[in-house]
Amino acid sequence: MAELVWLIPAFPLLGFLVLLLFGRRLGDPIAGYFAAGMVFASFVVAAAIYFDFLGKPEEDREEVVTLFSWLPVGELQVDLAFLADPLSIAMCLFVCGIGGLIHLFAIGYMQGDPKFSKFFLYLNLFVFSMTLLVLGENLLVTFLGWEGVGTCSYLLVSFWHTREEAATAGKKAFITNRVGDWGVMLAMFLAFATVGSLSYNALNDAAESGLMSGVAATGIAMLLLLGATGKSAQLPLYFWLPDAMAGPTPVSALIHAATMVTGGVFLLVRINPVITVAYDWVPTTIAYVGGITALFAATIALAQNDIKKVLAYSTVSQIGYMILAVGSGAYVAAIFHMITHASFKALLFLGAGSVIHGMHDEQDMHKMGGLRKYMPVTAACYIIGYLAIAGVPPFSGFWSKDEVLLYALADSVPLYLLGLIAAIITAFYMTRQVILVFFGEAKWESRANEAEAPEPEPTPQSVGAAVSDDPDEAAPDGGAVTTHGAHGEFKPHESPPVMLIPLVVLAFLAATAGVLNLPALFGIPTRSQLKLEEWLHPVIEFGEADIKSSWAYENEYLLVALAIACVAVGIGLAWLIYSQKRIKPWEPSFLANGWYYDSTIAKFMGGPGRAGFQAVADVDRLYDRHVVDGTAIGVRETAGQLRKGQTGNVRQYAGFIGLGALLILAWLVVFRGIL
Amino acid sequence: MSQYLPLVVLLALAVVFGILSFFASRLLAPRRPSSAKEAPYECGIVPSREPPERFPVSFYVVAMLFIMFDIEIIFLYPYAVNHSTLGFYGFWAILFFSVIFFATFVYEVARGGLDWGPMQRYRQLATDAAMVTPERTLASTVRRVGTEGREPESSSPSAA
Amino acid sequence: MLAQVDTFVGPEVNWFALSPLIALVAGALLMMLAGALTPRWPNGLYALACATTAGTAGALAMVQWDDITDNGPTTLVAGAVAFDTFSMFVTILICVSIILVAMLADDYLRGTPNDGPEIYALLLTAGAGGVVMASANDLIVLFLGLETLSLALYVLAASNRRSNRSGESGIKYFVLGGFASAFFLYGIALVYGATGTTNISEMVVALQNTVDLETPDGLALAGVALLLVGLGFKVAAVPFHIWTPDVYQGAPSPVTAFMASVAKAAAFAAMLRVLVIALPFYRDDWRPVIWVLALLSLLVGSVVAVVQTDVKRMLAYSSISHAGFLLVGVEAAGHTAGELDPGSGMSAVMLYLMLYSVMVIGSFAVVLVVQRHAGGDSSIEAFRGLSMRRPAIATAFTVFLLAQAGVPFTSGFIAKFGVIQAAVDVDSYAIAVIAMVSAVIAAFVYLRIMLTVWTGTPAENSEPIRVPLAVGVTIAGAAVFTLFAGIIPGWLIDATDTVTQYAR
Repeated sequence: MAELVWLIPAFPLLGFLVLLLFGRRLGDPIAGYFAAGMVFASFVVAAAIYFDFLGKPEEDREEVVTLFSWLPVGELQVDLAFLADPLSIAMCLFVCGIGGLIHLFAIGYMQGDPKFSKFFLYLNLFVFSMTLLVLGENLLVTFLGWEGVGTCSYLLVSFWHTREEAATAGKKAFITNRVGDWGVMLAMFLAFATVGSLSYNALNDAAESGLMSGVAATGIAMLLLLGATGKSAQLPLYFWLPDAMAGPTPVSALIHAATMVTGGVFLLVRINPVITVAYDWVPTTIAYVGGITALFAATIALAQNDIKKVLAYSTVSQIGYMILAVGSGAYVAAIFHMITHASFKALLFLGAGSVIHGMHDEQDMHKMGGLRKYMPVTAACYIIGYLAIAGVPPFSGFWSKDEVLLYALADSVPLYLLGLIAAIITAFYMTRQVILVFFGEAKWESRANEAEAPEPEPTPQSVGAAVSDDPDEAAPDGGAVTTHGAHGEFKPHESPPVMLIPLVVLAFLAATAGVLNLPALFGIPTRSQLKLEEWLHPVIEFGEADIKSSWAYENEYLLVALAIACVAVGIGLAWLIYSQKRIKPWEPSFLANGWYYDSTIAKFMGGPGRAGFQAVADVDRLYDRHVVDGTAIGVRETAGQLRKGQTGNVRQYAGFIGLGALLILAWLVVFRGIL
Repeated sequence: MSQYLPLVVLLALAVVFGILSFFASRLLAPRRPSSAKEAPYECGIVPSREPPERFPVSFYVVAMLFIMFDIEIIFLYPYAVNHSTLGFYGFWAILFFSVIFFATFVYEVARGGLDWGPMQRYRQLATDAAMVTPERTLASTVRRVGTEGREPESSSPSAA
Repeated sequence: MLAQVDTFVGPEVNWFALSPLIALVAGALLMMLAGALTPRWPNGLYALACATTAGTAGALAMVQWDDITDNGPTTLVAGAVAFDTFSMFVTILICVSIILVAMLADDYLRGTPNDGPEIYALLLTAGAGGVVMASANDLIVLFLGLETLSLALYVLAASNRRSNRSGESGIKYFVLGGFASAFFLYGIALVYGATGTTNISEMVVALQNTVDLETPDGLALAGVALLLVGLGFKVAAVPFHIWTPDVYQGAPSPVTAFMASVAKAAAFAAMLRVLVIALPFYRDDWRPVIWVLALLSLLVGSVVAVVQTDVKRMLAYSSISHAGFLLVGVEAAGHTAGELDPGSGMSAVMLYLMLYSVMVIGSFAVVLVVQRHAGGDSSIEAFRGLSMRRPAIATAFTVFLLAQAGVPFTSGFIAKFGVIQAAVDVDSYAIAVIAMVSAVIAAFVYLRIMLTVWTGTPAENSEPIRVPLAVGVTIAGAAVFTLFAGIIPGWLIDATDTVTQYAR
């Protein structure tokens, strides 16, 4: 069965090719259903392999499928090969499952878009690249997928590229990711130089058997961490993700919440033996990168007004948790949180998409309110997602976050505190969002009147509001508002069934995904405990931290109680502030502006960075004109305006070549020859 | 290698002398530029008419014919001197060489290299009209490329 | 002298082994003669004749390739010409490039005074020069090829007589090229002085027999330095790149494509011949120089390209950066030059040249289409909104740019991967890292062009962009090859692996 693993990427690839050739003829909505069908087909294959593996003993649950020898360069033999093992199959299941649901949702969301089939073409290409990333048997195949998802992300973020901010955001994502990609490329060369292979099995075996030196392992792990900070939007490279929200909402759900951004976490889990044999400060660094990002992004989310921006920062924060888990040696918890996060964050994004759709492309939360009456299904699903992310038991987020925090405490107390404070803030800002959007008085009524005015007011003060999301209208500056105002009435409406069905399915998942890895608490029967850990055991056996004897493990009940109390505090505070209005909200501008991190970078790149490029160009121009002349400066000055009657350039060029020749001569004759 | 030492010394002296004389004139000579001194041919005579007249391109074509046969002679002469030594191999080689050379001659004649006067004018008047416009001067042809993206010359030689 | 009267025996010439070269030269001569003696040929026939000639030469080279892989490499014409897979690979590369460029030139020349056999004959002549450079086993022969190539290129660069820029470009290239050739020739003379021969095979033997590490031979080293200058000029390595932007920008676009592909390939082939095959004895001396040239080319090429506003200039600087990458491969080859196991540097360079030639011709073909439409304007503004008017062309252009940036699934990735891999193989980590950094910087340039192509709206009243059939076929073919070689490169890698078995 597992030898059919190549079918998993093959189906989306087929979908991509068919849409490429016939997409426009298939049209709206057949192209969408076709694309979704291809992804579900992959899901079925993944599920079949999963059940096949279940029937086998643990040590047989691995299969390497080689398609062909891809790069036979000297000693380097890289095959285009797939690795089917518990980790990759688990990843495939949720990538294809949630991906398929998001495809379905997008059929409703993108309806009527002139580039409908192209959108699904990109989506299928993305799923293909993503499955390539997780199924790769070696770093190079993964890197292919890695670059592929990056390219798709770029294409999809700037899908409405006629809009300036979408194009800019795409560019930003691309460039930031290049920094991370560079790390991955270096890691590959380092891996090849030290181990002589790029295959995961070879790398991990080398690490486990002690053949890999600590230095090499440290280098590889740190470089891959750099790659992960780029792809998974961690400090210091996180800032492209919030901007990437300029893309269509299904894209945000699929790429920037559920799948692509977890690629970095996946990669780190994949090479967990390497991280284990690296120097001790490597896991610590990883954990702190994750923990600090989790807290940092959560604080920013506090003061955002754009419904998607809140979710974007929350995604950064939640991935921070996963990285924190990786750093604490809790690889199972990282994957567990990745899966639960994928379900509830996809749900939240799709819910937000549904709200935006129903609100006719309004994204400012301060202009919503009371929507639960008009969009009951969306509201119910959204609230389930909210409970899950906030960590309210028994929803899925509670179990996975708890697991991460448990391992964090077993590792060190500051890490635990980082995670716990971030959890409080998460509960707080998500409550704020739900109250602003679904409860309270409807603030959009005033907006409907306002829309009668010829010029709709651009939303000031929030950076996020500048990113508007209008699939139906290619025209910028809120043309949709005017259109609806002209109808004389404005009423949010519930979304069509094709959008609601994925929401309901995801809500079910978000509520129950916790059963994947229930802890040994609360009298849960032993055979339902820690199923995921059991499943992933062969992959993470070497790296997983053993915390059975730690203080944290023995007092798990206390931790759970503490976590629930923190969540309650967060929710209660937000309730007091935003629902009861007992306390004045505190949303300082430095949080709304993301601690000015992004603008500082932008300033640097726009100012000194560009100036740097310019300076090098100037230097080139200088030796073009002055340095070359400089060698001949005496000539120029003494002979006065000798240049006047003649052309200067070619002479300078020749002078320059002569100078270079002199330098080479000097080097070879004087330094190599005489000395 | 020691026998080369005088050469090296001579080389160094030549370079030093060159540099010295440049700087010496710069340091010692008074600088009183005038338009006459800065003219392209700074021999003291202010040019009355510029640019210099151009030759018809046909002269160059004939000159090319000359060079062609010149080169052929250069190769034929050593062959002629040694033809008995080189034997048949040399004979075939030089014959081959001559045939190729003859091809170039045929080409040039066929292209009108020897057509003077009315014939030429009749044939190429139209195509050449664009090529002999007075705008095409040496200065305009040579300066322009490569100036994109650079600052315009601040001290533009407007006098020239 | 007279005593030798009867003893002279001409070198044995294996005419068939020389057939690719003969086909090119004969084709050029025949085109010149027949074209001059007959009235105008029907449209497209000149280009067809040129492409057919190049195709014949390429096919003959493939036949020779088979012969070489069966019987091993050897030398021809008394050791003056090497008969090995290395030279045949470059021959095939050059022939492919000539075919592509001829297809571009056809439409470009229509309706100009140049629409005749001359340009095509010059292309073939230049190609023959390139082949001679690549297969020379004697420095004098190599110089002969270099000059044949260069002289044809000078004329080609200046061939657009209606454009001042073209004339400017030609004269600059001529003056500077002559200057650099002088260096090269002087270098040959000095090396001859040191080794007593210009033949590469004999040179290797001579150097090995006079191993005397205590007193390095200043004369030979000076010769190596001057050879490096000449070769550095031809491959456009910084600091000898200075002519490149002006010449590339001024020359007609098909000629620019030709320079970036054929001239670069021939120059690198010559560089490998001279440095790796002929002078492995001095490898520790010239390798640092190549290292520095590679470093400067990578950085200057990619960084300066960022601030350009003209796409042809951008591509010129990008070609400098590509030259840097190729030099990384040459540097890697330098580590193992002359050893029994030649390492992967040489084959990586060959692979890079093949892939780069196709993608750069494709890029310039797109530039040609746009430039013609915009009335000769090749600034980046002329590309704005290309995707709306010609989505297929825009897509192909994107493929070429992605390939130049080295994105996976395109041939550019395979090419860059190969040279960096070769560098890592011999522990040249520093230059490999620098190469990757410069790739990241250069990606910005390509991204900038892509963004202009895909965003923005074209001017309102613009008429549809005309894409002639031959140009369209060239662009499509190059794009398909770029993708195909990016996804399934195994066969090309296998082919280039054999080029390290060169004739001595």
